Amino acid sequence: MSVKNGINGWAGTILRVNLTTGAITKEDTLPKYKPFIGGMGIGYKVIWDEVPLNTDPLGPDAKCVFGVGPLTASGVPCSGRMNITLLSCWSKGYSIVDAHMGGHIAHAFKYAGYDAMIVEGQSDKPVYIRIEDEKVTIEDASHVWGKGTFETNATLAKENGPEFDVASIGPAGENLVPMSNIVTSFGNSGGAGIGALLGSKKVKAVVVRGTGAVKIAEPMKVRLLSNYMIKDLVGGNNNHTVPCHAQSWSEYVATNNRWQGAPGITWDKASKGPIDMGEQPSGQINVAALRCNKGVFDFGEIAEKYTVKQGGCSSCPVRCYTEYDMDPLADYDLPTHVSNTCMPIIKMLEWYPNHKDADGNSVPSTHDFVDEKDAKMILGGAGSRAADEYGVWCNYGNLYEDFNMAYTTGVLKDVADKLYPGEWDEIPWDLMESGDPRWLFEVYRRISLGKGLFSDLGLGTYRLYEKWGMDDPAKNVAGVSFYDFVNGKNFNIGHNGYPRHHGPENCWQAGTLYSMMYNRDCMIHHLINFCSSGAPYNEITKPVLEHFFGEGCTDPQKHYTPINENKIKLAKWAFIGKQWHDSATLCNWMYPMTIATSKKRNYIGDLDLDAKYMTAVTGEEYTREDQERDSERISQLLRVMTAVSFKLNLGSTNLRKDHDKVSEWVFDKEPDFKPFEEGTVKLDREDWEKSLDMWYEAMGWNKETGIPTRATLEKFDLKDCADKLEELGLI
Amino acid sequence: MAETKDRKSFLDKDYTRRQFLKLSGKSLVGLTFSASLISALGVSAKSLAEDKVRVWAFPQGLLVVDADRCVGCQRCEINCTLTNDGCCSSYISRVKVTRNLYSSRNGTGLYTEDNWTYFPDTCRQCKKPFCGEACPMGAIYADDLGVRRVDTEKCIGCGACTEACPWHMPTVNPVTHKSSKCVMCGACAEGCPSGALSIVPWDMIVSASQKT
Repeated sequence: MSVKNGINGWAGTILRVNLTTGAITKEDTLPKYKPFIGGMGIGYKVIWDEVPLNTDPLGPDAKCVFGVGPLTASGVPCSGRMNITLLSCWSKGYSIVDAHMGGHIAHAFKYAGYDAMIVEGQSDKPVYIRIEDEKVTIEDASHVWGKGTFETNATLAKENGPEFDVASIGPAGENLVPMSNIVTSFGNSGGAGIGALLGSKKVKAVVVRGTGAVKIAEPMKVRLLSNYMIKDLVGGNNNHTVPCHAQSWSEYVATNNRWQGAPGITWDKASKGPIDMGEQPSGQINVAALRCNKGVFDFGEIAEKYTVKQGGCSSCPVRCYTEYDMDPLADYDLPTHVSNTCMPIIKMLEWYPNHKDADGNSVPSTHDFVDEKDAKMILGGAGSRAADEYGVWCNYGNLYEDFNMAYTTGVLKDVADKLYPGEWDEIPWDLMESGDPRWLFEVYRRISLGKGLFSDLGLGTYRLYEKWGMDDPAKNVAGVSFYDFVNGKNFNIGHNGYPRHHGPENCWQAGTLYSMMYNRDCMIHHLINFCSSGAPYNEITKPVLEHFFGEGCTDPQKHYTPINENKIKLAKWAFIGKQWHDSATLCNWMYPMTIATSKKRNYIGDLDLDAKYMTAVTGEEYTREDQERDSERISQLLRVMTAVSFKLNLGSTNLRKDHDKVSEWVFDKEPDFKPFEEGTVKLDREDWEKSLDMWYEAMGWNKETGIPTRATLEKFDLKDCADKLEELGLI
Repeated sequence: MAETKDRKSFLDKDYTRRQFLKLSGKSLVGLTFSASLISALGVSAKSLAEDKVRVWAFPQGLLVVDADRCVGCQRCEINCTLTNDGCCSSYISRVKVTRNLYSSRNGTGLYTEDNWTYFPDTCRQCKKPFCGEACPMGAIYADDLGVRRVDTEKCIGCGACTEACPWHMPTVNPVTHKSSKCVMCGACAEGCPSGALSIVPWDMIVSASQKT
């Protein structure tokens, strides 16, 4: 056998790096952490056991836990995710959060022989953690301190050798800016303030090489299951299962989705001339990576002109990181190589709100570059590169929506004059007003400084609104609560400092419920995946979902119905399933396999696939019930830790009131509609309260407080959690 | 290179696996291919002309490596080790993409500005194998199909094969201390989701090469 540890699935070892003492130690993963699976679950258990929840998140006693799971690097497709658990330094309650990143480092870390790495203490000088299999050292990083993440990753990769992968923080993290991330590969990053936490410990980077292997109980079973998944189940990114452009084999065509690959859709900048993505029939492995074209989805066919190829993460046959060479940026002396996906690349126009000309007229700040309407893409490319270079995290878009709203309502100017006299005139607004891509580098540079007007945006929504009075109509010149008011840019799901991540606008009460459950945006894609898969609602989506979850569990877009038991069942499956994915680890943008590409399956996916993989990898029978039990254990721990943090840091004894309060715009938007009418996504207040009642009941939580009961916690072997809640008077 | 029908050459005629073995691993620049053969290989005339595509003769057919199509997912390494080693690994894989993915010896990879160049390296199945000739134990032998294999009974894990191979393809497993190299099983190409690695069956090559 080619594996050292004799354990199937898990690497078997957790690494502990103490930066204060320089001690590097190792401990067994099993049996202690097995009930918590891996990744996020290990992270939560470590923080619960070792870090009091009123610890300063950037102080010497804070810790973070890098984690991968039993399925990471097991050969299972889309298992290239790494989870990093830490205490939030920016959201209400300063409770438990996770950063999640893809790229290739999760595989390297697992191959090096580790399930997790606990980073504790603080170094007094810049360092990086170097992992080469069992050899782990703390190395000097003074030569890359202050550098951007691209330069740092390139420098450390080159210094250490061709098989070393790197993840690093940028100046934002070094300067303890809460909206900061860690960046690996090319634009793959984990946020949630991990940059600041590592910056507080003076850890610039983690450098990893693994020459080991992951032991697999039934390797050929894993290969066969993977082939079955790639052939019959998986579609494009977000598991969009119907092609967007007509293909000869496909029964249906989607209106718009991420399966943009098709005959005539090309990678124009491939080195030897355009590559045509062709047809990608269900049932064929060798075309699976040609299904997704995120560039065309994000920017239209203009993206083809600058596309070299489609990148992504280790083990994943669905490539969601379009890799561009955007020539027009060279005219501004900016790097032309760009790759990212979703928020950091698609929303950069938010940094260019309309401005007023000399006559007071509102005029657009952006212009075409080479082709008509290419500004969104070119500026998107520049912005994503700038954000990653400085290591700034966007809080799922709130960073630039907050700027946009503050600028357009006059709050920004008012605050600048009051808090930072003189700074306004030093800001090169002409770059913004002329649509210059260098504006984005200027914006992110200023945010990363950790001081000044723009760096306040880097505090994150919760601390920003408090500092600028944006949480109280009486304290800002706009006279509104920016958490609650109806504005196309306000995506705050509650009053905690983060937005919905596919909440009421797509996923009715269910999306709203799970968007409320974390201390950052929820990052759950269970529902949005089938909502936007491109499959026709009546013919595929509704029957498939009702096959799994019962009648009435799902609603068509913009035509919602009141809450019911099956919707709650669906929402709970999604909520606890997210914890499974970040613990296993599997990519939640792709899993679960709810709807299939295969007509011969009647498009019915396979919700047991994840458990089948666990059985094949570990050699121990693992069912969907086992998976849901373990995932719910982690979910209960999340809720307990949130309750304890809210008590210790805010004095709160009621999460229903203080954590789960939904922003008013969710109910007030689209005033011409009543809730549940066709055409609106607004929710109903009475129905929402009923939804919360049913949700708490389904989760085994007190209906008044939203806090888990002792009976619930003991059911999941979390007696110590119940004892702590009792000690604090929370149950 | 033009896809002309009138420019006949040896390669336009009756291809057999043995004939392709002679070509295996070599640059295809300057050779003339018929349109039907180019189509069978799934590549473009331009890519052949610019030396972006390499072919290797396998028992099952011709292995085509198209660097521009490589998306860096590492599934070739995954399927190689699941199939041949009973585990999942990158380092001991017989096909190697990870070492080209970050900051490779060639100056390519994601951590360079080399325009997204990364691709899988495959065993060349050299006619006069550096690995076999360097092995002090004579542990690398050719089987009935001409595939060069490592006799693990003889292998002492000294790494001479790794050093001797100009592309460092054989790898000594750090746990078993035995060398391993590509045995042309085809798992890498079968599981490649982008068509960067593909095996064109011999009957298709023969059929295509007989057309004009």
